[in-house]
Formats: sequence, C-alpha cells, structure tokens
Amino acid sequence: MAAVDVQQVRKVYKRDSQEIVVLDGLSLEVPEGEFVALMGPSGSGKTTLLNLIAGIDRPTSGKVLVAGTNLGSLSEGQLAKWRSRSIGFIFQFYNLIPVLTAVENVELPLLLTKLSKKQRRERALTALKVVGLADRYKHYPRQLSGGQEQRVAIARAIVADPAVLVADEPTGDLDAKSAEEILNLLQTLNREFKKTIVMVTHDPRAAERAHIERHLEKGVLAHSVTQREAMARA
Amino acid sequence: MKYLPYILKHLRKNWIRTLSTILAMALCIFLIGTLQTLLRAFYGGMDRTSTERLVIRNRVSLVFPLPLSYEPRLAAMPGVKRVAKVNWFGGGVPTATGAPDMKNFFPNFAVDAEPYLTMFPEYGLTDAEKRAFLDDRRGALIGPDLAQKFGWRVGSVFQLESTIPPYRVGRPFEYVVKAIYKVDRQRYPNHSGSIMLFHWKYLHESTRQRSQVGTYYAQIANPTQAAAMARAIDSSFENSDAETKTETEGQFLAGFLALVGDLALILNSIGLAVAFTILAVSANTMSMSIRERRKEIAVLKTLGFSSTLVLTLVLGEAIVIGAAGGALGVGLSALLLSHAASIPGFNGFGAALVLSPALLVAMLALSAVIGLLSGLTPAVSAYRANITSMLRQV
Repeated sequence: MAAVDVQQVRKVYKRDSQEIVVLDGLSLEVPEGEFVALMGPSGSGKTTLLNLIAGIDRPTSGKVLVAGTNLGSLSEGQLAKWRSRSIGFIFQFYNLIPVLTAVENVELPLLLTKLSKKQRRERALTALKVVGLADRYKHYPRQLSGGQEQRVAIARAIVADPAVLVADEPTGDLDAKSAEEILNLLQTLNREFKKTIVMVTHDPRAAERAHIERHLEKGVLAHSVTQREAMARA
Repeated sequence: MKYLPYILKHLRKNWIRTLSTILAMALCIFLIGTLQTLLRAFYGGMDRTSTERLVIRNRVSLVFPLPLSYEPRLAAMPGVKRVAKVNWFGGGVPTATGAPDMKNFFPNFAVDAEPYLTMFPEYGLTDAEKRAFLDDRRGALIGPDLAQKFGWRVGSVFQLESTIPPYRVGRPFEYVVKAIYKVDRQRYPNHSGSIMLFHWKYLHESTRQRSQVGTYYAQIANPTQAAAMARAIDSSFENSDAETKTETEGQFLAGFLALVGDLALILNSIGLAVAFTILAVSANTMSMSIRERRKEIAVLKTLGFSSTLVLTLVLGEAIVIGAAGGALGVGLSALLLSHAASIPGFNGFGAALVLSPALLVAMLALSAVIGLLSGLTPAVSAYRANITSMLRQV
C-alpha cells in the first residue's frame, strides 16, 4: 500500500478576482518506507503539495490519501486529530516554541494523547536521544544552535511515532555541516525506523539523500526516476 | 490542567506586560469592590429601617427645628405608641484649636433615651447598662467601633464640639461613657458600631433651653397604617408656624441621602467606566500577545491541536490574568476596608465596612468575565486562523 497517494489534485488560490493555479491535476504515489525529495523552482507548488499531504491544507479538487486515510473525508477536528497521530512536520525554520525547553517542545504533541506526565516525559527524552540531544533537554531554543534546534524539531516530529514525516526544506536555514547532520538523521529515520519521508528541497545535495526525486514545474509533476529509485525498486 | 504550565510559561515570557495587565485588573476590581462596599455602607441604613418608626421633621427643611410643644400632641395621637426627640448634634472631638476634628467624625445624636432605645432594639444593651446610661445626664452610649478607635471604655470621659451654631456654647460638651452597645450582626447586619447617643435633656439644658427639636421619631402600633398615620400627623400641624413632613424611617433616610445626589449612580458609573477601560486594556494586551504568536498558533495546529483547543488556550491565558488580577484586587480591597476605621474620613457612613461574601464572589466573577471577554477576540481569531496563511505571513 502506498503511504501517500495523491490523485489528480488541483489547488487554486484566489487573489482578488484572479485565480492562481498552483497544482494542476497532480498525482503522486509514495510507497511505504520511501524517502522522496520534491524539487523545483520557487512557486512550482512544492510546499503546497507538502501541505496537502500533511493535512494542513485542502485541495480544490482531487484526492489525497495518506496511510490509507482519505483526508478529504475528515472534518477539521478529525483532521487535527489525524495530524497529531499520523504526520510529523519538520519546518525550515524549526518553529520551536521559545518559552518551552527542548524536552517540553518535544512533549507538545504528546499533550494530545492520554499518556501520563511521566510517560510523556520518558517518550520525549527517548526522542531527544534518537536525535542525539538527550543532554540538552533542559535548554531553551535560544540556547541551541540552528542544527540543534532542527534536531529538536525532528524529535518533536517523531515523538508520536507517525507513519509519515514531511519536511519543508529542513536544511534551508543551516550551514553545510549542520545540514549534513540533519540529512544523516533523516536517512537514519528512514532506514532504521522505516519512516516514510517526503522532503521539499532546493538543495541537490539534500535531494541526493532521497531514494526518489520528483520535480515540479508550474504545478505539474515532471516524472523523473533516478538511479537511486531504480536501485531501490530492484 | 496539563496545559496550565504551557499557559503560565507564556504569561511569564512577557512578565512586565502580564504584570501590568494584572495590576490594572486588580485596580479595577479593588475600586469596584471598595466603592460598592462604601455604597452599601452609605445606603445600609435603608435596610435597617423599620416601618414602625415615623420621622417627623419641619416641612420647609431639615435644618429648621420643630417646637417642643409638638411632643405631647404627637404622643396623644391615636395609634402612636411612643415619641422620642432626636437631634443631630454633628459633634467631633475638639482639636488643639478647639474646632471639632472632622477627620475622625462619627454620627452623634441627642435623643430622648428611654423611648428611643425602646424603639431601637438594634442597640444591644443589658438592663443594667441601659439603666446606667439613663441615670447619668452626661452619660453617653457608644458603639464598639468608637470604643476601639478612641480607646474609650465605660467610665471614660470625653468631649465633643458641635459644628452646628446653636449647639456651640463656648465650651465643648463633656460626656461619660456609661455603656457600649453590642451589635447583633445576625439580626441587624448593617447596624453601625460607630454611633454615639446622649441625652436630649443635656443638650437642651446646656444650650440654656434654646435648642428645639430636630426631628421627632414616633413608633406606631400598626405599620400597615404608616402612610395614613403620616398624613394624619401632617394634617394636624397644617397652617401652623412649623408645618411637618412625616415619613417612614426608610423614606426619611432616602430623602436625606438624596441631598448628596444619586451617589449610587455616580459610583456605579465610575465602576462601570473603570471596568470598561480595563476590558479595553486587557483586550489590547491579549490581542498583541496573540498577534506576536501567530506562527506558534500555526505550529500548534500543525502538530494536531484542534482549533477549539487553541481557542481554549488563549482564553485560558486571559482568564488566568483576570483571576490573578481579581484575587489581588479583592485582597487589596479587603485589606483597605479592614483598616478603614483607622483611615480619616472613612468611618462616617455609620455601617461596618466589610467586604460581603456575595460582593467578593461578584468581584472574582467580574474579573473572570473581563478576562474572558478580553481574550474572546484574539481567541476567535486564533480559532479561525488558517494554518498555511499564518505560516506564509510570518
């Protein structure tokens, strides 16, 4: 079963009286456990597609199925609940809550579960351990480097054990070394923890880490099977 | 409750803004609570009036006296049980200059003690205490609050100088405390503990019998006939030199209080204006706070926080500010009122200045409501906010 199945999706924004077609009948299938990189120029619709997959936006027409759930059939409340369980979102600018410590930031999605305070804390610490920041759990975001902040954000994305991780230019705000570390981490999550990852990136070096690269041009997917994809399929 | 630490952390982040909003809210609640308590004290006399008691005064004005000769005529009227002369003395403890100290003013009356005390069971006295007071021409009956404030005990001698010219006789009046009445807060919750009574005869003799009668109090047999009795009394003095105006005690007090204007309207308007201002201030603070955190709200929603939960968190912050301000305001108000007796100019209303439990609950509820209302607009805005547009805006 495909982890992500986007079928004939159109997304049209209205600006004043003008209609702007961002995605135009796009279809995309991401098999379970895959690591897909979405590339393309600015305005090609990469982030919009990612938002649709993450369930934070809705298509104008077409269907989006993630982990077997048709997102179009869910109400706003159901969609929020679904996001908390099924999707881990990694932002370009980390978006940690500045007043919370690293472990409290990671714990945030678990507040929506029925776990006890102790269980929440244990899981958050485990997630921080996975990203190699267990010793920084009491630090506030302002006390961390960019790379460390992004690792905390990744820990927050994986703490509820979602099936799919979506990352919107996760290395876009990082120096080369930190970007390398983040990409290594994403690869580890994909390989060892079997997470399906859909990553938007402008950076070809980041895209190289994915098994599949997809290029978007003006809201349409240009099919490009890379060597890595062929190898992965084999 | 698991979200409370999250709410508190946000409030702590901008602690100056949070603290100033809490203080503004506290000031609002403090003012409303204190003003309402003063109002209650001021109008408290209305609650302790009896329909058995009629007050007869000069029709022209309260400042004009009535002749002494009216007493037997009133006492002889059918339906009148007893009559007592009551004069407002308007005295204060003389200062070094001899002028009465109006900063420590308290109500004091010259009364026909025997009928007056029979009409007013509010003054709790044993027979022995009553007798001791009645038997001494210079005797004074004082309230427990006066005893505490001035350190007077039974046997203490003190002086009062009146502000009313006919009662200024070239030297202060001297009194001996003969009894301290008790206030039964269960039966007469608004009865003052700051009143002083002395003998009308003492006033009359000290002024060389020049003083006339300020008001007559008449106790009637049938309270349901109060209006008819009042009309009968007034008609019997019609076309005389001093026509009368007879009212029930409640009507008399209402008219007396009206002399200072509609205090309730003035104080309630102040309270309302303050509450409205604080609501605007708090709403502005909350809006600023939430506007600064649009990105964070988008992140919370992305993580799976429902719109309703986000709305609840924003309202939670506003309510915490409201509740903290309310609690502080109630505390400040209670503190001030508990020391009111020692604050000059605060004890003239007669009734005890106590924050009633009902008012306390109302003040806390008001602060929570102001908090809730101040958070409503930003909370609804956070509820409605679209994740992608918020992420794009930042």
